[in-house]
Amino acid sequence: MNEESSVPFTEFWSWLQALPLSEHIGFTWWFPLLESIHVLAIGLVVGTILMVDLRLLGLAATRYPASRITLELVPWTWLGFVVAFITGFGLFMAGATRYVENPAFQIKFMLLPLAALNMAWFQFRTMRTISSWDDATVPPATAKLAGATSLLLWIGVLLAGRWTGHLL
Amino acid sequence: MKDAIANFLAESQARELMLYLLGNVPGLPPIVQTFHIAGICIVVGSIVMINLRFLGIAVPSQNITEMLDRLMPWMWWALLVNVLSGLVFVIARPLRYFYNPVFPYKLALLIPAVILAFLVYRLNRSEQKYWESSASRLRYGQFLAAVSLALWVGVIISGRWIAYWDYLPFFYE
Repeated sequence: MNEESSVPFTEFWSWLQALPLSEHIGFTWWFPLLESIHVLAIGLVVGTILMVDLRLLGLAATRYPASRITLELVPWTWLGFVVAFITGFGLFMAGATRYVENPAFQIKFMLLPLAALNMAWFQFRTMRTISSWDDATVPPATAKLAGATSLLLWIGVLLAGRWTGHLL
Repeated sequence: MKDAIANFLAESQARELMLYLLGNVPGLPPIVQTFHIAGICIVVGSIVMINLRFLGIAVPSQNITEMLDRLMPWMWWALLVNVLSGLVFVIARPLRYFYNPVFPYKLALLIPAVILAFLVYRLNRSEQKYWESSASRLRYGQFLAAVSLALWVGVIISGRWIAYWDYLPFFYE
């Protein structure tokens, strides 16, 4: 109890965890329900982004222009991400003080912004030149790099996310 | 027969080995579970997008025949990864799974889901454009797509609830 916390905003996390909603999630069947929906949403996020990444690497769906695969699939990635974020936040509320100190959880939330940065970089830099390689079976190195980075980061997010539950 | 299989596994050396590995190789349980989740992502991603395409909701430029040919091989390999990674835990703790009240529901949803996916895939292989050759076949395919979506959602949810079966009394109270 008197142990000094290594994480800032200790009082905020305690307050969040003590909210009636947080306690309701933590002590009832809401927790497994949110977790089930979280897993479904992760399936949509990683399942769809994987298809985009493999196209960028020139390993799958090469008969389609890269831009078409991206445009048709990334909205579903975002839908899954929003659902995963909301359900994930619900799970987080139930044990905020423990999660913020969990090393696996900390790594997960370092990898997620990196995945977002990679996506933004691809969107605003690499996509600008897409017209010159859209139909190419094997995209240029920058696009391949974005695909490979995304693939590795998302596998890392899955691993760190699953590991979180083993350190509580 | 269930008792016989459960006891056979519980007393086998395979179980001893699995338990030893899971307990002594650092990080092995979350790593095996990550394979299981990655497999789920490939299965769910493929199945959901194919079914949404059948229903006319997603990926309008990709056609059903081509999607089935392209995505289903990934799906079968991922399913194999799921079976193997799942078996690691069943072999390590057979009694936990064989006598879990949720586990039979997962299997009862998973088996028809896999059979349905196989039928849709095989029919498409047996005759090119099978599902797109007539309006009635497409409607039939859409019905099956809706059933398939419901089954796979059920598989994922019941899978997660195996670990939370003790929350279930809520449902029969």
